[in-house]
Amino acid sequence: MEVAVKIRKLVKRFGNTVAVDSLDLDINEGEIFGLLGPNGSGKTTTLLIISTVYKPTSGEVYVYGHDVIREGDVVRKYVGIAFQEPKALWVDKPYELLLWHARVVGYSTSEAREVVKNVMEVLGLWEHRNKYFYQLSGGTRKKVEIAKVLIQKPKIAIFDEPTAQVDVISKHALWDAIRELRTQGSTVIIATNDMFEAERMCERIAIIYKGKLKALGTVEELKDSIPEGDIVELMLDGDENTYLRAEDLLKQYGKTVRSNDSLKIFLNKGEERAIEILDLLKSRGFKIRKIMVKEPSLDDVFFYMTGAKLKEG
Amino acid sequence: MNLNTLRALYLLILWDLNKMLRRAVFVAMRVIWFVIQVTVFGLALTAMVRLRGSLPVDVNYYEFYLLGIYTSMLFSISVSRAYDIAEEFEEGIVEYHLSLPISRRVFAVGRTIGGGIASFLFTLPMFAVVLWLLEDVNVEAVIISLSSALLFAMSITGFVLSIVLSLKSGDATDIMFGVLDSLLIRLSTVFYPAVVLSRYAPYLYVALVNPISHIADFLRTLFLFEEYRAIAIASPIAMASYILGLAVGFSSLAMYIVEKKVEGGGWR
Ligand SMILES: Nc1ncnc2c1ncn2[C@@H]1O[C@H](COP(=O)(O)OP(=O)(O)OP(=O)(O)O)[C@@H](O)[C@H]1O
Ligand SMILES: [Mg+2]
Repeated sequence: MEVAVKIRKLVKRFGNTVAVDSLDLDINEGEIFGLLGPNGSGKTTTLLIISTVYKPTSGEVYVYGHDVIREGDVVRKYVGIAFQEPKALWVDKPYELLLWHARVVGYSTSEAREVVKNVMEVLGLWEHRNKYFYQLSGGTRKKVEIAKVLIQKPKIAIFDEPTAQVDVISKHALWDAIRELRTQGSTVIIATNDMFEAERMCERIAIIYKGKLKALGTVEELKDSIPEGDIVELMLDGDENTYLRAEDLLKQYGKTVRSNDSLKIFLNKGEERAIEILDLLKSRGFKIRKIMVKEPSLDDVFFYMTGAKLKEG
Repeated sequence: MNLNTLRALYLLILWDLNKMLRRAVFVAMRVIWFVIQVTVFGLALTAMVRLRGSLPVDVNYYEFYLLGIYTSMLFSISVSRAYDIAEEFEEGIVEYHLSLPISRRVFAVGRTIGGGIASFLFTLPMFAVVLWLLEDVNVEAVIISLSSALLFAMSITGFVLSIVLSLKSGDATDIMFGVLDSLLIRLSTVFYPAVVLSRYAPYLYVALVNPISHIADFLRTLFLFEEYRAIAIASPIAMASYILGLAVGFSSLAMYIVEKKVEGGGWR
């Protein structure tokens, strides 16, 4: 497996702000990789350094082995980016803009017309092709920005919050188009703070916070990486006292949270433990109304990794 | 230079030309203003200015004024690229451009040439008016003057590109180029020949190194050759070399700045 993007000890400062703080990351060829992090965590900054728009303060970034500073010209041949903020002037028109883009990234004029039309149709942009940018809705502007990369089909396709502002139906169309891009040979990097998008789209996810890497892995790996990763939730017949006794008994398995009508235990490998817990409770004469094993959502992982408290339930 | 480089250059030039086309109304207004200037004001001024006696040769002030005012237009319009580039930076277009598969050198040269051509084309209608008012002119002079006007527009664009991308501030850009525009035109031979300026020494020295003086006097020498040669700020060859040197110098500066210094961000 070849490494498409290699990031080592990357630091980017803007004045006193440390936007990226000693980041190490490998993005493999052919994967859909997610950069997940709250606002201001350094996602955009990292992506702009990969695309040679920003220069690192220190550290190194290589795209297929080419240094983003010394070999920027080579790197730009590999990378295409759809910016978080659509890049256009108010008086630009989508079709003209995309046609120019298509030609700059290497299509002949006639090929450009064809590919631009195709992509615009897929994204439902064709009817808006000759409107001024200021006449377009936020979501439509965003789609024009995405269209640039879909047209370009770069080896490394970067999308900075691709579906922010985009409606649900369009979201699915965009996701499909991005997956199709990967099928055609692109490595895809998506920055997002939408858990659903990350979970649906990304094979591996890096959670970054304040410019630092907090966790890295598949969605499953991330969820398992939280100590007390699963949640076993119990409902018992009985009063408060019953729950108190149960809690005493089950403390050994992990952190417990008791409410009036349920008991939650935060633990790892919940499916296996649930059976043990069930047996133990039965052997002590508890009457079990309901037992559930819940996975923490990516939300929980996100909150956990970025320092916020793990939510209860 | 390979085919891809030429293609990229061509597309960057196209970018600037498209920009200019969108300003058709603005162009038309500037041309109308120019026509008013060279007819009403120019004639009035000519009636007031008496060059005879103060000059060793007999120069028609009106013709002198025509080429001066054309030069000042060429300069102002080239400088106004600064505001376009600043706007592009503010809207993040520069970041988009920096991410495209184009080398930084080609980007710098392409924008310099593109901006130069756009500004030059902008002034073509004015140039036509000047030729019409000058009446009989020779073809050689027209060709050489057009080429030097284009070169001049490119050097100013190269300069402006370098400065705007280094300043990274809309306000600083406005102030800097507003001042530069009005100051440099006044401290040049646009309105008065160098010999008249020689009464005010500091004024003269600035005018002598001022690129605007060189292009204005070069155009005058081309069209009013015999009469004007004696009072131009330098010999035709010297002025032509100055204009060429400026174009090479400022495009190199633009290349250096874009390649080594420019990065996205830090504007707002
Ligand atoms: N051009 C800039 N100049 C100064 N500070 C900047 C610049 N760009 C980013 N920053 C700062 O760097 C930090 C990281 O910003 P960045 O845009 O990379 O975050 P992000 O993860 O993309 O956030 P979001 O989810 O809001 O898009 C922030 O504190 C931001 O204010
Ligand atoms: Mg961002």
